Amino acid sequence: MSQAEAAEVESPAPEARGARRRPPWILGAVAAGLVVLAIVLAYVRSGNTEVVSQAVVTGILVGGVYGLVAMGLTLIFGVLDIVNFAHGAFLTVALYITVVMVNRFGIYPMLALAVAVPVMFLLGAAVQRFVLAGAIGKPLENQLLITLGLALLIDNLLLLFFGPNPQSVKLPGDTAVPILGAVTTVSRLLAFGVALVLAALLYVLLRRTRLGTAIRAVAANDSGAQLVGIDTRRIYMTTFAIGTACAGAAGVLVAPLVTIEPTTGELFNIIAFVVVVLGGMGNVIGALVGGLLIGLTEQLGALLLPGQSPLLSIFIVFVLVLLFRPQGLFGKTS
Amino acid sequence: MRKHWIAGIALAAPLALAACGGSAPPGTPGAGGGGGGTAGSGQTIKIASLHPLSGSSAADGQQMDNGAKLAVEAVNNAGGIASMGGAKLELLSADSKGAPETGQSEGQRLIQEGAVAIVGTYQSAVSQNVAAVAERNKVPFVIDVSSADAILAQGYQYTFRLQPSGTVLAEGGAQYLSEVSTAAGKPAKKVAILHEQGPFGTAIKDVFTKKAQSLGMEVGPVASYDPAKVSDFTTQVTAVKASGADVLMVAGYYRDGVLVANAVNTVKPTLNAVWGVANGAFDLPQFAKEAGAAGEGFFDSNYHLDGKNPQTQALIKTYKDKYNDDIRTGAVLAYDAVRVIADSLNRAKSADPTTLRGAIAQTNLPSLVAQKGPITFSSTGENQGAFPILMQVQGGKIVQTYPKEFAETAYRYPATAAQ
Repeated sequence: MSQAEAAEVESPAPEARGARRRPPWILGAVAAGLVVLAIVLAYVRSGNTEVVSQAVVTGILVGGVYGLVAMGLTLIFGVLDIVNFAHGAFLTVALYITVVMVNRFGIYPMLALAVAVPVMFLLGAAVQRFVLAGAIGKPLENQLLITLGLALLIDNLLLLFFGPNPQSVKLPGDTAVPILGAVTTVSRLLAFGVALVLAALLYVLLRRTRLGTAIRAVAANDSGAQLVGIDTRRIYMTTFAIGTACAGAAGVLVAPLVTIEPTTGELFNIIAFVVVVLGGMGNVIGALVGGLLIGLTEQLGALLLPGQSPLLSIFIVFVLVLLFRPQGLFGKTS
Repeated sequence: MRKHWIAGIALAAPLALAACGGSAPPGTPGAGGGGGGTAGSGQTIKIASLHPLSGSSAADGQQMDNGAKLAVEAVNNAGGIASMGGAKLELLSADSKGAPETGQSEGQRLIQEGAVAIVGTYQSAVSQNVAAVAERNKVPFVIDVSSADAILAQGYQYTFRLQPSGTVLAEGGAQYLSEVSTAAGKPAKKVAILHEQGPFGTAIKDVFTKKAQSLGMEVGPVASYDPAKVSDFTTQVTAVKASGADVLMVAGYYRDGVLVANAVNTVKPTLNAVWGVANGAFDLPQFAKEAGAAGEGFFDSNYHLDGKNPQTQALIKTYKDKYNDDIRTGAVLAYDAVRVIADSLNRAKSADPTTLRGAIAQTNLPSLVAQKGPITFSSTGENQGAFPILMQVQGGKIVQTYPKEFAETAYRYPATAAQ
């Protein structure tokens, strides 16, 4: 809190910091306007409504998944100041938990949530307590190397135990669903819906509970939080565990959408980091909105700049956002 | 303090693990120097297998390493190298991790440990570097899989390639499409292309486009994607549907191939065929399982093991028994590569790498992969027998359908997920 306010106070120059001074609804209107403009341009470019509506629907649904993956990461980023390169690897662990539950025990894929989320919560707590706790307050590269090492360790253990062959999880009754002149599948809709519910739950947890208040207090000022009697070590552990549990939930939800290999989690790592920075570090709702924005950018960008990598349009948007709002779309709050 | 210690372990463990993967059996110290020219009974000749055993291509890399191992076992069980008093082969396996710089250093290490020939490496970028190492050390390098034309365009003397080059694959793909669709009475008119954006997919797209246009087909729309990041193809397939194309050509890898099948199944465009060219998914038994009904009817024009060859059938069975997995064509090519080296050693009567290189250049050996003739090498080192054949997913199985001499069953054209 104090840091954010200080930053506001220290930057009075109105002409340079104009964007930050504007009320939030203007920002929202500008973003919405840009999205509409992109849609219109995409329509002009492709000359076909079906393709554009498909791009928008796919973009939003894929974006929901990106947001879901980024939520846990942003929480860890915001509270522990850890750049967690192992997030994708944690997601892969959840993918394999789903594979085992579905293919060995024959349960409905979404029910694997009941196993994956608690297991990943405990794993996250253990990793924070026994591996990362010592690196708190140490230089950034210590944590960076530890999480990178963890990611390698997890990747290779999965390779050892499950072998390199691709695995898959099928959602029973996963048929095409027409929606707004486009088509999608049940599994994508389900992943999107649960991502929204999960974001809402996290938001309530952070805003309306004692634990959430404590987490936000530690994020804002950890020595201040310690002074008023908050056990910061416990909060660090709990937050990392919640973040890892989010990766677990994301893993179960995306399992029917991806080919499952020991390296699958890496696919989401880079995009998740972009989404976290775009949405504002530590902001859960920002991660969800950032995810949607990146999903839409990726799909519409492919129509606007055919023959280019979708990453091109993603990074154009990324650089623009960093230029005008270096703290991310929903910066400040943590 | 104790926490530092634990963190240290967490950091060191994966590194140690990676190191284990990289350096399989440590060579006998001081043995270097490549086994000279003299051959006596009980002598062992070291050859190297360099493939991506970890990382995102581990599934293919481990298969190929297994293929090489099986070939060495087969040679040794048959009495070793006959002309050299029954000398046995010893395989040094190494992990390139799919990284060109790792491949380069591992290639160098394998040669120092006494390997007289290298088999590898799957990724074109890795093969490019290993070819340079092989040339510098004058040790033969037999490429099993790597399609880039550029590797052999350098005038290297010590590098040979078993699989058909990208150009041969792409031209064959366009040729077969024209022949098959015309014979079925529905000549392909407009071909949409979806290709991965790397050098492999782009090269296939360029050559295919040129050939298809010369055969009277219209090409477009063309879309590219990043195979490492893509997560959905419904928009691209909807664009294909809107364009009115009657064939969708796909050049890509495994994971993206499955996503294409799912998108085609969801959007249901009016296509006569989904046509893979050197596709890394559509001709794998694993694809037929994972994509299920979504992949039914997909074609792939690619190099492929010869399912009608009794020797190949025996290898398929051996592989299944030993590794409980369906063998991929890459593993058969690695098997062939070791056979080429063993056959050349036999003719060279020497394990001297330079003499061996000369013998490999004279190779004339029937292949376990579908080819238009035996393995013989051109002056640039290309396998002159190599060419693609046409596979189709039928009833959840990959079957060979064209040309006639390799056909296990007739192709179904038009055939997409419609049924």
